[in-house]
Amino acid sequence: MIRATVLFVLIYLALIAQEYLPALGFLHGAHLLIVPVLFCCGALAFSFPAMIGLAVFTGLLSDLAYLSAIDDHVEIGLGWSILFYVFAGTVLHTLRSLFPAARWEVHCLSSGAVTLFLTSIQYSMVCLRRGSFYLDTAVFWHIAGPALLAIFIAPPVWFIFNLLPAASTSPEPRGSGGLRK
Amino acid sequence: MKKQHLIVLGVAVVVALVLLSFSTDRMRAWQGAYLQASKPALEAGAALSGRMDKLQKGLKTLDELETENAVLVAQNNELRAASQLLGNLEEENKRLRDALGYRERSSFRLLPAEIIGRDSSSWWSTAKINRGFAGDVSNGRPVLTADGLVGRTTTVAKDISLVLLLTDENSRVAARIEGTNEQGILTGRRVQSDAPPELVLNFLSRDANLQPGTKVFTAGVSGGVFPAGIPLGVVKEFRTRELDGEATIEPAADFSNLEDVFVVLDTP
Repeated sequence: MIRATVLFVLIYLALIAQEYLPALGFLHGAHLLIVPVLFCCGALAFSFPAMIGLAVFTGLLSDLAYLSAIDDHVEIGLGWSILFYVFAGTVLHTLRSLFPAARWEVHCLSSGAVTLFLTSIQYSMVCLRRGSFYLDTAVFWHIAGPALLAIFIAPPVWFIFNLLPAASTSPEPRGSGGLRK
Repeated sequence: MKKQHLIVLGVAVVVALVLLSFSTDRMRAWQGAYLQASKPALEAGAALSGRMDKLQKGLKTLDELETENAVLVAQNNELRAASQLLGNLEEENKRLRDALGYRERSSFRLLPAEIIGRDSSSWWSTAKINRGFAGDVSNGRPVLTADGLVGRTTTVAKDISLVLLLTDENSRVAARIEGTNEQGILTGRRVQSDAPPELVLNFLSRDANLQPGTKVFTAGVSGGVFPAGIPLGVVKEFRTRELDGEATIEPAADFSNLEDVFVVLDTP
């Protein structure tokens, strides 16, 4: 319960902190996204209902933070990110049963994959709404860059997450001996 | 998948669908409530970020400080001379207007504001300012710096507002070119790769042949959001297309270092 509460608070703080992280010039101005990395911690460690609760919370806050309402139209409406996170969380939750334990490597790859899924689906929706699609080097790095960065920051985030009081809300994955660092 | 899991999944999907059915105004109201609730955290983040920047800027060598001082002294002398000249011109302008019986042109009512957050997403360019409807800010008000236009407010809460920046692809500003009759629509790019950002001026005539350095101002179309004459930027490059001309514009405002801005409350 403590771990879940802390993760909910961390996701909110991460959403705020992301605003002050500078765009990275060497990745064509891509940004570091911490929220999907934190979400993956919960998706791999929590029970299914808790993971869905986390997905709704994360999706709702993300939509509220990034909602682009201009005049009378919205590009990605309130609620879409909930569906994205619920989908990503359900896939991760299903996949984790294939591994003997929720290991840092799984979290690392999951963070990259979920971030890539979120940035690419957001870009696709934006292109659909704006009526044109193009993919150049800058767009590629704005999609792939955050995923790459997520892979790099995932191990320390997973390590810190596992330092939190271990009263996990999740029944361990099948055949698991517990969460391994 | 267990039955209990399916029920939980169903509830989450229903919650998302209910939110998706909201009108734009209702979504905006929810976003306003979120921004208002997050304002203390955003201000704390902005203060921390500002301190880090100052610390970074403070670490300069003596040589750099001397060079900077020399530049500032030169600028100061230039501005004093310009101010003197403008003072004389203002007096002359007033005298001539009085002679012709012109009414005094009403000036903008400007509300100073601070940028307390920048959008970290890749597809939208927005910023948050620490002023809202408590300070008479409403939706669609122009936001500018001393250098030029920055954008316009889109979501307004009590003490905080979201500003759609000129660099956003959804931003559309009617623009005119200095010294010509050329007009066009200024927009941002979908993805800004590196600082400084660039804007695009579309729908110019093919034979406009704009030279680099030519200034671009707001056109101030009737019923529009932006008053006429606000600097937008300078032409960087002009190219012709099949049907029209297009120019790349370097913004007048420094988007990589936005801190203090003004909200235009009343336009003439």
